[in-house]
Amino acid sequence: MFSFFQRYRELLTVGTLLLAPLVSYLWTGHRGREPNIVDRAVLFVSAPVQSVLTSAIDGVSSMGSGYLALRGAHEEALECRTGLAMAHAELNSLREAEAENARLKALLSYVEDTVDQEIVARVIGLNASAQFQSIRINRGEDDGVRFGMPVVTAEGAVGQIVRSVGGSSDVMLLTDPSSHIGGVIQRTRVRVTVSGSGGGRPLLLDVVRREDDARDGDVVVTAGSDGIFPRGVPLGIVRSPTRPSVGMFLKGTLEPSVELDRVEEVLVIPVMMGIPSSDLGKGALK
Amino acid sequence: MKFLAFSTLALLLLSVEAVLVKTFGFEVTRIDVGLALVVYAALRCTTVEGAFSAFSVGYLLDVFTGRPTGLYPALAVLVFLLVRGAGVVVDTRSRGPYALFIAVATAGHAVFAVFFSWLTSAAGSGHVFSLSGVPLQVVLTTLAGLAMWPLLKKIEPGERPEPGLLR
Repeated sequence: MFSFFQRYRELLTVGTLLLAPLVSYLWTGHRGREPNIVDRAVLFVSAPVQSVLTSAIDGVSSMGSGYLALRGAHEEALECRTGLAMAHAELNSLREAEAENARLKALLSYVEDTVDQEIVARVIGLNASAQFQSIRINRGEDDGVRFGMPVVTAEGAVGQIVRSVGGSSDVMLLTDPSSHIGGVIQRTRVRVTVSGSGGGRPLLLDVVRREDDARDGDVVVTAGSDGIFPRGVPLGIVRSPTRPSVGMFLKGTLEPSVELDRVEEVLVIPVMMGIPSSDLGKGALK
Repeated sequence: MKFLAFSTLALLLLSVEAVLVKTFGFEVTRIDVGLALVVYAALRCTTVEGAFSAFSVGYLLDVFTGRPTGLYPALAVLVFLLVRGAGVVVDTRSRGPYALFIAVATAGHAVFAVFFSWLTSAAGSGHVFSLSGVPLQVVLTTLAGLAMWPLLKKIEPGERPEPGLLR
């Protein structure tokens, strides 16, 4: 027996290295595994390197852009002052509307969902494989980031956390083929599913009945029904919806609200399955 | 020892690549720097040492995807074996064949990755679309491999494998 292993040592070693991960992949499919100690060690080493490189590149580019920004700064400042005055006027009217909204909500006994403070994170890398669309951010388990939390920017939804370790996390982007988010067309309140279709391609509008009202330029926001994103986060803008001659569903694409390949800073919303993380573990929910 | 050198280099290169890809916004394609290492290991290392090196490079790539599934270690070892098999009949001592092997390996790796993703995923067509970036990926990876050539020569083993049939 020992001589058999001795004779075919090379073959057995290489065969194991080839087949063990392949069988594991075919067994688990696209779900991925929980980060083990080796994964954590790799991420522990690589995340600081990525953070330092990102800071260095950002520093150099901000120096360059800072110099360029000085040119024509006076004209820009004047424009900004005008814009600021208009924004102040708009803010005042919005405050009025907010106060009115609060009074009406109180009248209807509407309870607002409380969400913890969002976690601000910086993008430190894009993943190295074209088959998976994900980014790495510089906030992880230590900062309260957990698997499944939604990630957004001021412009709209970015994706959700698929792995979180000590000081970094990976975010599956909306463009990943495995991403499916529940949305609603803001104008008509028609429910849609927004799916990823791979890097460099627009999002897909799924499961919209052909008789539903969807037009080019319609804004789609999250429906809050998928247990991932809160309601009302912009997902994208409907582009060229078509109704094929056969079939039940409308075909269309969605231009993402966020430029996903250019995103620099993101916010992680500390909710899991729609439940604020502060409420988790308390037993009864509101 | 060379296994450790390959692993460390792969970790460093993948970390740098992740940042550069983010900075320059390569939305459609990637540079498979790890494959250049796998091809080099296939051409210049012993079978067991090369297979372990290829596995470790694939493992790191798998971790860097964000959702490690085991696909990339298997593909790296598969590419290692195919390149090693082809290297038996081709003179691989110069840059030219090395670059050619990287180009073919990158294309093959991408096709295998898409095939297995399609096989196991409900959203198969999305993965097939990612093949559109492969030609650019082949060019960029080959150029990256050539740029790494002087560095890789420094971790070359003292004894080279037996020459191939046509040498």
